[in-house]
Amino acid sequence: MKKKQLLSLLLGATLSIALLAGCGSKTDESATETSTDSATTTTEADAGETSNGEIKEFTAFFAVAGTEINDDNEIQTIIAEKTGAKVKETWLTGQTDKEAIGTFIAGGEYPDFIEGGSGTPQLIDAGALVALDDYIEKYPNIKALFSEEDWNKLRQTDGHIYFIPQFGTVKNEEKVCTHNDEAFWIQTRVLKWAGYPEVKTMDQYFELIESYQAANPTMEDGTENIPYTILCEDWRYFCLENAPQFLDGYPNDGSVIVDPVNLKIIDYNTTPTAKLYFQKLNEEYKKGIVDPESFTQTYDEYIAKLSTGRVLGMIDQWWDFAYNVNDALKQQELDAQGCNYVPLPITISEDVKNQWHNSGAVLNVSSGLAVTTSCEDVDAAMKFVNDILAQDIHDLRFWGVEDVDYNVTETGEFARTEEQRMNASDTAYKASNLCTYSYFPQYTGTSDDGINANRPDGQASEFYDALHPVLQECFAAYGAKTYVDMLGTNESPGSWYPMWSFSNSLNTSTPGGTAWVKIGEVKHEWLPKIVMANDYEGAWADYMEVYKNCDSQAFLSEMQTELDRRMAESAKFN
Amino acid sequence: MSLLMKKKVKEKINEVPIQITWKEIKRQKVLLFWSFIIVIYGVIFYYLPLTGWVMAFQNYKPKDGIFHSQFIGFAKFEQLFHDATFLRVIRNTLGMGVINLVVSFITAIVFAILLNELRNKNGKKLVQTISYLPHFLSWIIVTGILHEALSGSGIVNELLVKFNFIDAPINFFAHPKFFWPIVAFANIWKETGWNAIIYLAAITAIDPCLYEAAAIDGAGRWARIKYVTLPGIKPTIIILLLMNVGNVLNAGFEIQYLLGNGLVQSVSQTIDIYVLKWGISQGDYAIGTAAGIFKSLVSIILIVIANMIAKHNDEERLF
Repeated sequence: MKKKQLLSLLLGATLSIALLAGCGSKTDESATETSTDSATTTTEADAGETSNGEIKEFTAFFAVAGTEINDDNEIQTIIAEKTGAKVKETWLTGQTDKEAIGTFIAGGEYPDFIEGGSGTPQLIDAGALVALDDYIEKYPNIKALFSEEDWNKLRQTDGHIYFIPQFGTVKNEEKVCTHNDEAFWIQTRVLKWAGYPEVKTMDQYFELIESYQAANPTMEDGTENIPYTILCEDWRYFCLENAPQFLDGYPNDGSVIVDPVNLKIIDYNTTPTAKLYFQKLNEEYKKGIVDPESFTQTYDEYIAKLSTGRVLGMIDQWWDFAYNVNDALKQQELDAQGCNYVPLPITISEDVKNQWHNSGAVLNVSSGLAVTTSCEDVDAAMKFVNDILAQDIHDLRFWGVEDVDYNVTETGEFARTEEQRMNASDTAYKASNLCTYSYFPQYTGTSDDGINANRPDGQASEFYDALHPVLQECFAAYGAKTYVDMLGTNESPGSWYPMWSFSNSLNTSTPGGTAWVKIGEVKHEWLPKIVMANDYEGAWADYMEVYKNCDSQAFLSEMQTELDRRMAESAKFN
Repeated sequence: MSLLMKKKVKEKINEVPIQITWKEIKRQKVLLFWSFIIVIYGVIFYYLPLTGWVMAFQNYKPKDGIFHSQFIGFAKFEQLFHDATFLRVIRNTLGMGVINLVVSFITAIVFAILLNELRNKNGKKLVQTISYLPHFLSWIIVTGILHEALSGSGIVNELLVKFNFIDAPINFFAHPKFFWPIVAFANIWKETGWNAIIYLAAITAIDPCLYEAAAIDGAGRWARIKYVTLPGIKPTIIILLLMNVGNVLNAGFEIQYLLGNGLVQSVSQTIDIYVLKWGISQGDYAIGTAAGIFKSLVSIILIVIANMIAKHNDEERLF
């Protein structure tokens, strides 16, 4: 009995201590949060302490889907030895980016590094990010990422820079082989069967898929084909909704069309092309060409579907499917059956020139890698970002270890054997050996040695050799050497580009932002509805009626204001 | 213990209130100590967080905290009730909540009684074990199974087509009308076995003499269920019903969040999802809090009304 009493006392005591401790740290934190500005200047003093051979560990959260690598990952260890630091990366699972970020803010505790996606403005609003202006000046590799004009675009309304965009940084000469963006994709087996025809319009595209499906309803092993599928889970519904801008020959401004002559914002949801596009989908849905599970499938189910090679075509962004799907197809040797996807230069009619691909770097001014107020040693964190941009570490990240993951030819060119390529597409190998720090700043373009591309997929010889012969044959038939050649390339649209970097950062604190959220809600519900509708005309009219109630004008006028601001801003530098 | 006895004991307590003396306190010091801990726990985890309700009346910004945010009165509540989405969300929550309450309540009682009538001890144990196992699965797994089973090429459609009930597969998740029944079904599948346990326990507490007496009086199985089992577990039924009425607005979050999609969002979103979407995702913590307050108030009102009805009919009650 005595013992039990003692035990209960102890338990009670620890409980209350734990509670008090919990409360204590909370108040501490709000104190540090309010004094962010002073913190940035004082940490410089203790920056020198790190160089005692000990490896510093940082944490990072990226509000995008990703794969965690093993703790004893080989290249991560090498980079840690060379730079004195490593980062434990975690990724978004089963939530949207804004939900994840909102939860972090409500909790008040952050990892050292964070990429907030469309939740970035909330992070800045909450005072969770460290202003990086002074640090950027201190680290030459980071400073060299962008021009003064671009850095200026990244300044928030308070004049500080809070994040560093990871992508859209081209070093030296640009080397692009893949079309990293959105397109109508089609499997090479369909093109081959039809004798590699010119496919330039949406009607031709679906006609081709229909006739192929009629002649070949199954794959070689008897699995039924899915002629056309549409991913529309959550924010990934761009696969359904934003094609009208491309079909009219405009680039990917994402949420609106920008008239390049008059510099006016145009709403692509209500254009005649939009109506035609959804009408086509509606017809194809009725014919059974559009996958009936399109509107209810999750992203995972979609990727699983594509990985079986059953899907003949779809609209998607390369980065959204290719890294998973191409590896899976390669491992199952489905590329030999012509299950790889190539993009087609499709517009609404033959006289409209497509702009699916644009050359030049695209600066995303809405989000990037940020350091949070929870990071105890901002200097060390920024030094790490600086270090992994050095050419030798950059090669380690994207090429791997010399003689293991790639070989160097006599002329100094990097090349990989078939086995090394297999490894690079193998999930288990990637988890245990490769570490790209893919959401840290990085380069495309050419290496400092002047010979090699910064990444294997930009290395023309390596890229072409790595292609399956079936794919090479397809490219040859269209006189193309790369994915980009399939579409043709365009100049960068203009200094406003891309407008999505603004609409991504909108939230309900402004009328336009509220309208933008409402528009999203309406489209999520109505676009599938009109595609599935028996009476398309009636459904479209109903949709337009509901759409009108979203106050889209408030959204468009905020976009127009931002467009004007960007043009005025860039005029200062010309 | 029969009802009558219970009532008598209660009356006795009411008649002679226990005198609070130092001696009595000393005698109960261990009990008091433990209750004290529970009280602290309650204050810290249930009452202190309520200070966060202040947020609903402010234009809350995380940077300024609750002490420096601008006070805006009932503006957020006004915004809430002028938002057609929120009204729809209340409808969905109430709809699914009531369906869940009624259906899961009835199935649990029926299941418990049926199980009790089983004569084979081993069979009974087996069925009971299997039936409550799904309770331990998390919703993400249950919804995964549902998503697979009910998809266009899933087992349900395959069976329906094979047996010629339908001509072409139905995509269950593409039709708003199927959503509430699917949610109700999932709840039943997952929780019936678990909910039945408490009724089974109540049934075991019924005096066997009553069954014997009823049998001697010529009562068959039906009659015994109707006149002995059901009245025997009535207090349990009413207490649980009262508690569940307060939970009607907790119609769920995970299941609707995981099973929902754009096509059915008009019927799938509950208050909790609304709070997540507008409060957390959009960073408008004030409107999220306002929606939460609304939910709590309605729950309290519901529980008070239900309790009053029980009181009025002289039944068991919570307070």
